[in-house]
Amino acid sequence: MIVKMSKVEIVGPRPLLEETLSLVRQKGDLHIEPSAVGFVDDTHKRDIHSLLPDEKTLFEKIFLEQLEANLSALLTCLPTELIRESFLSPRPIIDTVSRTLDKHLTMCRTFLEKRDALQHDLAELSGYKTFLSSVSTMFDKTGLTPDLDYIGISLKDEKSVNILKEGLDCLADASCELFTVSGEGGAVVGLIAATKDISDDIRGLLSEKQMPEFAFPESLQKLPFVQKVEYLQKEILEKETALQAVNAELEKFAHRWGPLYRAALDWVREQLSIIQVSACSFETAMCFFIYGWMPAEKVASLHASLQKKFTGSVVLQEIDIRIEDLERVPVVLQNPEYFKPFENFTRLLPLPSYTSFDPTPFIGLFFPLFFGLILGDAGYGFMLLLIAIITTGVSRKKQLFHDAIKILKVCSLYAIIFGLIYGELFGNFGHNVLGIKPLFLDRQKNIIPMLYFAMAVGLAHITLGLAMGFVSALRRHTKKEALAKLLNIVFIFLTVALIITFFGFFPQLLKRPLLITILVLCPLLLFSGGLLAPLELLKNIGNIISYVRIMAIGLTSVLLANVANQLSGLTGDIVLGVIVGGFIHLIGIIIGVFSSSIHSLRLHYVEFFDKFIELGGRKYRPFSPSEKSDPENYMSEKKHHKQEQQVHSS
Amino acid sequence: MDKILIAFAAALAIGLPAIATAWAQSKIGAAGAGSLAEKPELSGTIIILVAIPETMVILGFVVAVIILLGG
Repeated sequence: MIVKMSKVEIVGPRPLLEETLSLVRQKGDLHIEPSAVGFVDDTHKRDIHSLLPDEKTLFEKIFLEQLEANLSALLTCLPTELIRESFLSPRPIIDTVSRTLDKHLTMCRTFLEKRDALQHDLAELSGYKTFLSSVSTMFDKTGLTPDLDYIGISLKDEKSVNILKEGLDCLADASCELFTVSGEGGAVVGLIAATKDISDDIRGLLSEKQMPEFAFPESLQKLPFVQKVEYLQKEILEKETALQAVNAELEKFAHRWGPLYRAALDWVREQLSIIQVSACSFETAMCFFIYGWMPAEKVASLHASLQKKFTGSVVLQEIDIRIEDLERVPVVLQNPEYFKPFENFTRLLPLPSYTSFDPTPFIGLFFPLFFGLILGDAGYGFMLLLIAIITTGVSRKKQLFHDAIKILKVCSLYAIIFGLIYGELFGNFGHNVLGIKPLFLDRQKNIIPMLYFAMAVGLAHITLGLAMGFVSALRRHTKKEALAKLLNIVFIFLTVALIITFFGFFPQLLKRPLLITILVLCPLLLFSGGLLAPLELLKNIGNIISYVRIMAIGLTSVLLANVANQLSGLTGDIVLGVIVGGFIHLIGIIIGVFSSSIHSLRLHYVEFFDKFIELGGRKYRPFSPSEKSDPENYMSEKKHHKQEQQVHSS
Repeated sequence: MDKILIAFAAALAIGLPAIATAWAQSKIGAAGAGSLAEKPELSGTIIILVAIPETMVILGFVVAVIILLGG
């Protein structure tokens, strides 16, 4: 439903403007109108003009913008999770905050630079970590002997270890030993302990076997192997300790100062938004005016709050909405819980205009109905309901998914109901095996009655759309359009009656009066709808025929289910039959859900909404702390209205 | 022979609109995908535009059913 809106004007003495805007922001219900068009009558136009900021306000704005930039920069340096709220109100201490901010920002940036440098070093050293820990384990096992030379090596796999062992056996007999430890991803870390006289030969062997010695940083090349390992281990430990210290410092700072700076940033943003929105206010010599729109049910609450705070100095007044204002009224959609998930379909379209209708309840009512009419299989419906129930718990985290599951639940219930009406349970499986009979209509055998039924559904839906269009046109006071919609309904019924008469269901005598009525009404149709009215009428009839897709797609769905049953029967084996049948039914369910949804939506978007929904409504953007009031938007809107005003006056 | 002609007529009645619909949807779909990359808010309009030619094949289906059951 489109919420009823009120056009309001807030008036008060000029010095109370900021406090009033602060209260309005806190309440968060008023969509401030940057233009006075439609609010001020011509006699008072000269006395009221846009509020221009004075020099003090401009300086304040520049100061606050700079402060906001610095505060944002500081808070991005700090850890995101702050544990407490500030105990201090930022307003009295904002000057102190601005003085300490530069110093703290420089300090935090230094911490960050230090942390980045340490993280970079540790990332480079992380390549050695696995090797060093493996080598340390081997040192612990074997013990260090100063007479021996050690060679570190990283091997691909166990196969390479065997090749190396064979090579070492041939080369040095028993004067060297290879120790290995399994590393990450199947790799092996090896350590060769050898007497110093044969260490060069071993290096030669490694080079020959293309098994390079583990590479240490170039600066450590001159050190012996054991010292290299010790040096790197010490280096890593020192850097990790330093990183922990820097993080601890940042956390300590965030704990001490973060809440205050966060509160200061919120306050600065509030002040900036008030200054920016005050540019959308108007003034006379002594008073300010704020014009805007808000939900009618919330006017009393804002009125009471203003009365309580300003004891009658600031007044809120409701103004009558005139016909020329209707295009400018912002649109808020509000629906009961059942319809809320269907708003996702409405969001695919632009907002409806204020005088039009919210499409959501119509989609909520007819989408599941059409889905059920098309899919119409109790087995498929039951499977979908089962899937929806199972995934309900999982879907809670994501709103869109949660909404989709809610819609699926409703649609699956309709599919079960129509499945029982058509007597379908996994196609003809229910009929053949369980003896289920259709409650109302077997759509496989009654193709023509089903075709008429689908067209009857279309006739009802399109007529409803045209009737809504008639009401919508009356609301907009466009009487000609309303007459055209009404005549379209009459013409459609006359045409249908004429066709039925030709088929012999109505007495043949009716032919002539029906034809005469159509001919008599033709000039009236041309008068109300213009030269394109006959084309519009043909389009409406085409739209009704378009509902035949309900029957056509439903028929393909049931035929696919029957094919699945036949194929599973042809296998001659229960297990194989269940697998084949289950697989084809699964495809049938996927195709069924997809095509039923797409075609039901299409019937709404193309055939139904076209008759009565006027798109192009204005988005409701209340001035509130939660709404990221983008000053650019306000200012661009203001510019747009100024241009509009100029065009209007010229 | 009559039956063959009737079946052929029905096949033509649904086949030709189906080809026409597919061709129209391919063109609209390609252009729509391009537009969506630039302006995602146009998704509703694009769905409508892609769905419009489908009416042809539905009308073709109705004619085919009439031919088959009438013959």
